[in-house]
Amino acid sequence: MAKPDPAPTRPFSLQREASLRRRLAARDEQALVELIDLATPWLLGVAQGMLSDRDEAEEVVQEAFTSAWNHTGALGEEHEALMPWLLRITRNRAIDRLRRRARGRARLARAQASGALPEDTLAPVEPNEAARPGWHVHESVHEALAALPPEQRQAVQLAYFRGLTHAEIARTLEIPMGTVKTRLRLALDKLRVALAPIKDWVL
Amino acid sequence: MNPHDWYVENRAAFVARALEPDEERTFREHLPRCEECLREVSRLERELGWLGMGATPVAPRPGLTRRLTAAVLDRPRRWQVVLPSVLAAAALLLAVGLGWQGQRDRRALETALAAREHRLMALADTLSVLREAQAVTQANISMDRYRGGLVIFRDAVSHRWCVVVHGLPPAPAGNVYQFWFITTTGMVRSVEVDANSTHPAIMTVGMPGESAPVMGAALTVEPAVNRSSEPQGMQLAHVMF
Repeated sequence: MAKPDPAPTRPFSLQREASLRRRLAARDEQALVELIDLATPWLLGVAQGMLSDRDEAEEVVQEAFTSAWNHTGALGEEHEALMPWLLRITRNRAIDRLRRRARGRARLARAQASGALPEDTLAPVEPNEAARPGWHVHESVHEALAALPPEQRQAVQLAYFRGLTHAEIARTLEIPMGTVKTRLRLALDKLRVALAPIKDWVL
Repeated sequence: MNPHDWYVENRAAFVARALEPDEERTFREHLPRCEECLREVSRLERELGWLGMGATPVAPRPGLTRRLTAAVLDRPRRWQVVLPSVLAAAALLLAVGLGWQGQRDRRALETALAAREHRLMALADTLSVLREAQAVTQANISMDRYRGGLVIFRDAVSHRWCVVVHGLPPAPAGNVYQFWFITTTGMVRSVEVDANSTHPAIMTVGMPGESAPVMGAALTVEPAVNRSSEPQGMQLAHVMF
């Protein structure tokens, strides 16, 4: 199958990001609308991959946007790009929820019982998604993940995209916790290098 | 291995949030006290910041982005904006309606109350005449097939009478029942009697002045129009004291 055209229909340029940051810092509500329109699918993907609950994922995304909107004063000073900032807020909120609820343990037990490890979080999507802003970043992240040895990729998958701790991963994979720690540390070291160019990327 | 090595080894795990909750708490408490770890954690967060883009995007459900915008801006939804106005308008209309209705009801009640008070005063006045009467005179009345009566309670102190007419049918068309005083100087017109065969007509009347001493009373049927100062119609009752 031919690779989808990565050209986004709504390119998110460096200039647009800079403009968006300035407008958000100035409390421009239209800028917030643009940001929500742009970022929601990606943030939902992160939250839903962890929580496996659509309603809860939407709540987390709302919390993330609210938190971001209430701290836009820092945007003008920060050097971190908008999307990583939002992704981190979303992911942290989702993990906080995951760890507060007992269902997280039940979900883990189900995953163990079925042997269905959460590869679906990184599953390929329809070619028409290629038109989505940020799709080329998504592909680049996947290329970086694909370059990892399978056991390291699996550790990242469970830790980063499912929010499991070392101990939970060890129980899920039935391997020593030290092995999990090593695999995850090595994987994250490689990803740091592989993703470094992305700091210059734009959505 | 010194104690700080644990923090160095677990920086990436902390950023990935793969530490156990108690470990994470320990690491978090360490950060404000360690510039190196704080700096390295910030760097790792930036370098791994785009990793979340590896998750498969999820298309928002219809209306979600609008709801998110409204929620973040703490804006009420459209119905929440409209509803207070609608409720206020409804409340205003209700208040106006109730006010108008209340005003109308109030006026009706005031009228009814005034009528009741007037009626009560009349009854109290009638009762006082009945109670204080020194003499009572009665006469039978016949009108067509009806058989009734005229009863007069006379109070000489207050110079008032209580006149009761009972058993009479309504006056014939174009006529009225007329009560008369019979005085030393002639007949003096008093009140019309609104007769009804089912309820007695009770009237409290003032006597004519002392210049014309009353000797008796009469009840006649008179034309409703072109009335005369003297009885012209059929006489139903005639009593002398």
